[in-house]
Amino acid sequence: MLKADNSLGIIFFPAFDWAISPTHPEREERLLYTQDQLREEGLFDIEGIREYKPEVACSEDIERVHFCFPEAEAIATRSHCISAGGAIKAAKLVMEGERKRAFALVRPPGHHAMKTVQGSRGFCAINIEAIMCEYIRENYGPKRIAIVDTDCHHGDGTQDVYWHDPDTLFISLHQDGRTLYPGTGFPKESGGPKALGRTVNIPLPPGTSDDGFMMVMEKAVMPILEDFKPDLIINSAGQDNHFTDPITNMNFSAQGYAALNSMLKPDIAVLEGGYAIQGALPYVNLGISLAMAGVDYSHVREPGFNPKALKESEEVMNYIATICEGVKDIYFNPPAKSSEGVVSGNWSVRHRNIFYDTEGFTESQTESLLLCENCRGLLKVETQREGGPMGFGLEIPAAACESCRNQGYSLLEEAQVKSRYRYIQLINRKDKDYLRYGF
Amino acid sequence: MLLLGIDVGGTHTDAVAIGPDGLEAQVKVATDHDNLLSSIRNSLGEIVRHTDPARIKQLNLSTTLSTNSIVEGNYEDVGVIVSAGPGLDPHSFMTCKDFHVIPGSLDHRGSETKRLDNLSLEEAIVSCRNAGIKVYAAVTKFSPRNPAHEKSIELAIGDNSDFTTLGHQLTGRLNFPRRISTAFYNCAVWRVFNKFADAIADTLDEMGLGQIKVNILKADGGTMPLDLSRKVPVQSIFSGPAASVMGIIALCNITHDSIIYDIGGTTTDIAIFAGGSPLIEQEGIHIGSHPTLVRALKVHSIGIGGDSAISMFNEKVRVGPNRLGPSIAFGGETPTLTDALIWKESCDCGNIERSKTGFTSFAAKNGLEPDELADQAIGYAVDKIHDSTRSLVDEINQQPVYTIHELLENRKIIPRKIYIMGGPAQAMKMDVFRKFRLSTEVPENYDVANAIGAALTRTTTELELFADTERGLMFIPSLGHRENVPRNYKLEDAEKDAMNHLLAHLGEMHVASDGSNAQITSSSSFNMVNGTSTVGRNIRVKCQIKPGVDRTYS
Ligand SMILES: [Zn+2]
Ligand SMILES: [Zn+2]
Ligand SMILES: [Zn+2]
Repeated sequence: MLKADNSLGIIFFPAFDWAISPTHPEREERLLYTQDQLREEGLFDIEGIREYKPEVACSEDIERVHFCFPEAEAIATRSHCISAGGAIKAAKLVMEGERKRAFALVRPPGHHAMKTVQGSRGFCAINIEAIMCEYIRENYGPKRIAIVDTDCHHGDGTQDVYWHDPDTLFISLHQDGRTLYPGTGFPKESGGPKALGRTVNIPLPPGTSDDGFMMVMEKAVMPILEDFKPDLIINSAGQDNHFTDPITNMNFSAQGYAALNSMLKPDIAVLEGGYAIQGALPYVNLGISLAMAGVDYSHVREPGFNPKALKESEEVMNYIATICEGVKDIYFNPPAKSSEGVVSGNWSVRHRNIFYDTEGFTESQTESLLLCENCRGLLKVETQREGGPMGFGLEIPAAACESCRNQGYSLLEEAQVKSRYRYIQLINRKDKDYLRYGF
Repeated sequence: MLLLGIDVGGTHTDAVAIGPDGLEAQVKVATDHDNLLSSIRNSLGEIVRHTDPARIKQLNLSTTLSTNSIVEGNYEDVGVIVSAGPGLDPHSFMTCKDFHVIPGSLDHRGSETKRLDNLSLEEAIVSCRNAGIKVYAAVTKFSPRNPAHEKSIELAIGDNSDFTTLGHQLTGRLNFPRRISTAFYNCAVWRVFNKFADAIADTLDEMGLGQIKVNILKADGGTMPLDLSRKVPVQSIFSGPAASVMGIIALCNITHDSIIYDIGGTTTDIAIFAGGSPLIEQEGIHIGSHPTLVRALKVHSIGIGGDSAISMFNEKVRVGPNRLGPSIAFGGETPTLTDALIWKESCDCGNIERSKTGFTSFAAKNGLEPDELADQAIGYAVDKIHDSTRSLVDEINQQPVYTIHELLENRKIIPRKIYIMGGPAQAMKMDVFRKFRLSTEVPENYDVANAIGAALTRTTTELELFADTERGLMFIPSLGHRENVPRNYKLEDAEKDAMNHLLAHLGEMHVASDGSNAQITSSSSFNMVNGTSTVGRNIRVKCQIKPGVDRTYS
């Protein structure tokens, strides 16, 4: 019988009774063939690989990360809570040493959900990786975490959640934003004023295949990780870079995904996108599971795989090599100033309009970070959905200094007194004090 | 009308005859492992002597023949021909030396993605023929979705084979490695099992019982007709524990979530009931070095039984998992759990004087009062049973679910009652009760419950239906049934078809069923989308005849 080199826990939750709409790419059928493939391969009979049931994330798990307006219950469906709960289960298995590694094969995905959420974007409502990472920090103490997002779309939500966090390294590999939703993810987006260089964006040209991805891993991702020395590596394992994916234009293969994973050695992987539900997902998910477990994946091959036809040209490879040099430089020699926000007094302020494509409305938002000498700073957000009421969010980070913490509470009091806001949410990570006001 | 049940066990072969008003005869004879048939013949002879043979309608038989032959490696060489395509390396699942991998593949929807390579197939068959192979197993990946490649292999083997097992005929459930080992074992024991079946038939003829219906017990707590069992002998493995569980069902009216213990000489078997129904192993039973797709009741065995030796380890009393000969009461040297129960006067068997003397001197040698030793030994055994039960229940409650509905419903098993059977059942009852604080029952006739279970167990079968309306196809792998369906074929149609085929299949086995025991165990329908339009439905239905007994007895 086969035996895994690394014990692996798989949380498989296909949510066979949830869909955005009957023909939406993110629908019930999405993990059906993956389930068939994993069963038929006898994956769970391999010694060391075990399947687990997800947990259900609660409002507190969500509101520890997100400013939710009007509230978590209004944004996250049961299915989202289970998907996030699947990621939490994966984290528990690894943090408590029951498994060396874990893979949350769950849906719906989450990496387009930003710090503030008022609805669903890019099939995502709540950020399941971020909810997992903050669950880890809340329950197992401070951790340096690296999130490597290999979904074909820019992980703009995860980037936003960790924009101001110097302890979280966010690396996103994705199809160039000039050619794909959400249109962001350029190297100059490298983090907020207190976390410069902690966001690493690697936009890749359409048609990038296995060689291109592996070059990025070798030349940029691995050296950066080596320097950052994370306690945990998380893979946002989106699978829409596959050459058969219907909504993207990349040429990655199941072998490529497995090889990437084998080099990255993530402690935890969480499924993100991937909509080639018949021709790619069953094979890519199998490949990643085997690679994580350290079981031979060399026989995993999807129908129609022709490495020669998929291979990128020399120009493309040269272009990718240039990008790798560029992003490495940004990490190792970060700019003096963030690409976003203007300094006003001792606050760094960003005004933004965020479009919720799944639901079709726009949110306008003002986010301000207190530029503190002694900690990563107090964060506040003023937000309004088109025609909707005002919301106010305030976050005191876990390692906040006394002054930031006190200022946080006085701002909270002020916000209540002024009654400009229908909804107010406080995330105080320092004292684990989570408050919500409003109706 | 009499129903006979025979359970060929490790030490004893138990037989009973059950009439309309209850138990009419029961016998216990020693099992002769080198000649199982003689044990069966002897017990049957006893039963017939005490009853009117003309009233006998049916004999249900549970035998260790296939199990032993597999466990002891005492079986015939099999030619295993598989085709895998992409995925795990099929050589990882090599079951025997004549194992051949043929290029070719099907995908999860049953589409051929690579043709079967006829040349390598021919070579494989020649190699098997030269090795003197007479039985073959043909298994291809995703054959439950499309058996074409397995059928091609069968055709190519042709006259070279006395018997061929095709993977998809065993079950419609997916699991390629398990399908390989199941098909392999089925072939490996085919000849020895069929000789045994012949001998049973001859014996019954000799005894003038040629007309009675004979069924063989399966591990899932059901039976199959003898004729059918000749084609799927692998289904008879590990039917012993199932007989015991069925016995409890027959003897007690189980309605709650419950725990069943069968405390034997060397082991205690633990089974769990959800409501009134025994739980089935999700995938299938393990035997030899390979897991299989043989459906089985979920039964967990631990090394604690009446004959388990008492030992001292770091000044602590332990029981089992070893057996070092019989209890002192029965001529042994090392005290056992039974001797401890005798000391506490919970149990009255064997040579009481001898047991107590031996027990006292063992206690003295270890610096303990005999009372202390007995309490600690029984306490240890009950703790072990308790801990194993808890982890089994936890494990069951941890089992994955796949829909939001199932997850939120969160139906956890919370045992409310305990049933105990087996030799030390009565003696252990109070200790178990004190540990669990749950109502604990030991049925009457607990000592032959297994044979009673065998006698009353009903014929069961399961099938899986798979439909793909984009292709206009419906397929029931285990029956080899394939038909065209209209594009508007729906889940309700599939459920109806599955049930009809299930009942028709029972009819073919000459089992009358009114359908009241037939049930759909899972059913789902997925829209298949291409681009932005729905192109068809992918439908899956599983149904079964519920494991259970034809009537209860009390
Ligand atoms: Zn990405
Ligand atoms: Zn994506
Ligand atoms: Zn501060």
